[in-house]
Amino acid sequence: MTRPRLIVTPEHVEIRLEPAGLGSRFIALMVDLVLVAALSTTVAQLTLSLLPAAPGALVRALALLVLTWGYHVYFEVRHAGQSPGKRIMGIRVVDGRGLPLSAQQSFVRNVLRVLDALPIGYALGAGVSQLDGLRRRLGDIAADTLVVREGRVPEHERRVARARAFNSLRTPRVLRLIRHRVGLEEREFLSSLCLRAEGLEDRARFDLMDEVGRHYRAKLEIDDPHLSSENLVRGLTGILFSAR
Amino acid sequence: MRGPEPAGGLDVERFVRERRGRWTRLDALLRDVARLPDHEMGAARLVELVRLYRQTCSDLNQARSYTANPELLARLNDLANRGYRVVYRRSHGRRLADEAGRFFRSGAPAAFRRERTSVLAAAASLLLGIVVGFGAVLADRANGERLIPEEFFADSPARRVERIERGEERIDSLEKAAEFGAFLFSHNIQVSFLAFSLGALTIVGGACILFYNGAILGAVAAMYLLDGVSVFFLAWVGPHGALEIPAIVFGGAAGLRLGRALLLPGSLSAGESLRRAIPSVWRILLMTCVVLVLAGLIEGSFSQLSAKTVPYAAKIGAAAALFATLFFYLFGRRIAE
Repeated sequence: MTRPRLIVTPEHVEIRLEPAGLGSRFIALMVDLVLVAALSTTVAQLTLSLLPAAPGALVRALALLVLTWGYHVYFEVRHAGQSPGKRIMGIRVVDGRGLPLSAQQSFVRNVLRVLDALPIGYALGAGVSQLDGLRRRLGDIAADTLVVREGRVPEHERRVARARAFNSLRTPRVLRLIRHRVGLEEREFLSSLCLRAEGLEDRARFDLMDEVGRHYRAKLEIDDPHLSSENLVRGLTGILFSAR
Repeated sequence: MRGPEPAGGLDVERFVRERRGRWTRLDALLRDVARLPDHEMGAARLVELVRLYRQTCSDLNQARSYTANPELLARLNDLANRGYRVVYRRSHGRRLADEAGRFFRSGAPAAFRRERTSVLAAAASLLLGIVVGFGAVLADRANGERLIPEEFFADSPARRVERIERGEERIDSLEKAAEFGAFLFSHNIQVSFLAFSLGALTIVGGACILFYNGAILGAVAAMYLLDGVSVFFLAWVGPHGALEIPAIVFGGAAGLRLGRALLLPGSLSAGESLRRAIPSVWRILLMTCVVLVLAGLIEGSFSQLSAKTVPYAAKIGAAAALFATLFFYLFGRRIAE
């Protein structure tokens, strides 16, 4: 399972960093590889046409070395952790405290690509990152960096949002009040009410639910006119019986 | 503190309506700061950014305690996160040139001295390989053909020397030298990184790669010795070998050190043991790259000059001088760590 990295800023605010998944990182890497290949080819063509063949070959070899190793380091240090591929995928490398990474950290995480790329296609790095809760490959662990997603609502939180369309009780404030003001006996009462509601006549069911609903509306200070009484009672019962 | 919130908790709509302006402004400032250098941002806008960041942090705290609205929380979290990254980043004070200066003056030599055990172990593996390869060929010449890969072994050393001295294979034109250098350069990088990777993942594998490369080298040396052209061999391999062989040893040493941290952490946790190893490992690896580039340049040019251009004695002398310089640079001085 991925878990967010929580950082407490000096303002005592907790910031969540969501680790980026394998897929987006892989696509970002592919984009970067294509760019590096394009750049190397351009440099090769330029040296072929501009320089005499003599120093050309050496310049090419050096340029290739600088490009393959320098590309990631340059972008990670100068562009706050985003190479073009990562920018397209909306992910970013940050250091363990959520800050931009230093040149040393960038060098370490990129030089250890040699290990992570083994035996083929980043298999080792991918394996290690699947075992790590923060989805870090070896280079990231060694350099104390992680790749995070930016500016998107995480999927599990979106599911909560859908659930909330039917249930406005799951706010921290109401949950706290439920914990403090609803006792065990009431919990049993509510569960039998919900279980027996099916057997009640429509009119009686509506009146009973409305009465109970109004009681808890006042007790839990819920001011939500869109929430019907039966939904409130059922939602409340669901919360009481769900694992906290 | 602000006035009391409405009785039913926080009115999210109002909360957003009242603060949307500052969030948008902070967003715009954060975009600017990513685009522009600090002096173009100006002090006023930076101060404004810090102020808005602090306010947004407080908004995030408030929103967290009153609502579970994921869109709002994610947006504020994102803003606070981006602001935090700008407000608390390291100062740009240190320049790259200073960093590089520090690395070459003290960083790299200190790392090598700290990890001399690993360097020694890697060097020992290679030396052992050289001795075994050398001995095997002296014992039975046919072993040479078994040990040395085809591509190194087109014809006998004596014939080769003759050809080079006649000038057929002489690489004294800059063009050939550069091309050959480029090829050897990438080959050396591959061997060094192979020694590093295998050392880091298996320890034994790294030692084996070093041993194997040593054995080839020892066998080649013995072949040249048996053919009575050992002086040529020293002059041919010496100048770049004086850097290239240490570079391979360094790559292997970095691998062994990392392997020890990963596989034999002792009483430390894996993470802690890795954190202790990394400062040395990256310095050794960076130095390996630098030495490899130098070796590649020398190998493509100076090493290939024949006796007609530069006397062998001078080449062997240059090789010894290079090696001694490298050794004393890394291990010979007192360095304040």
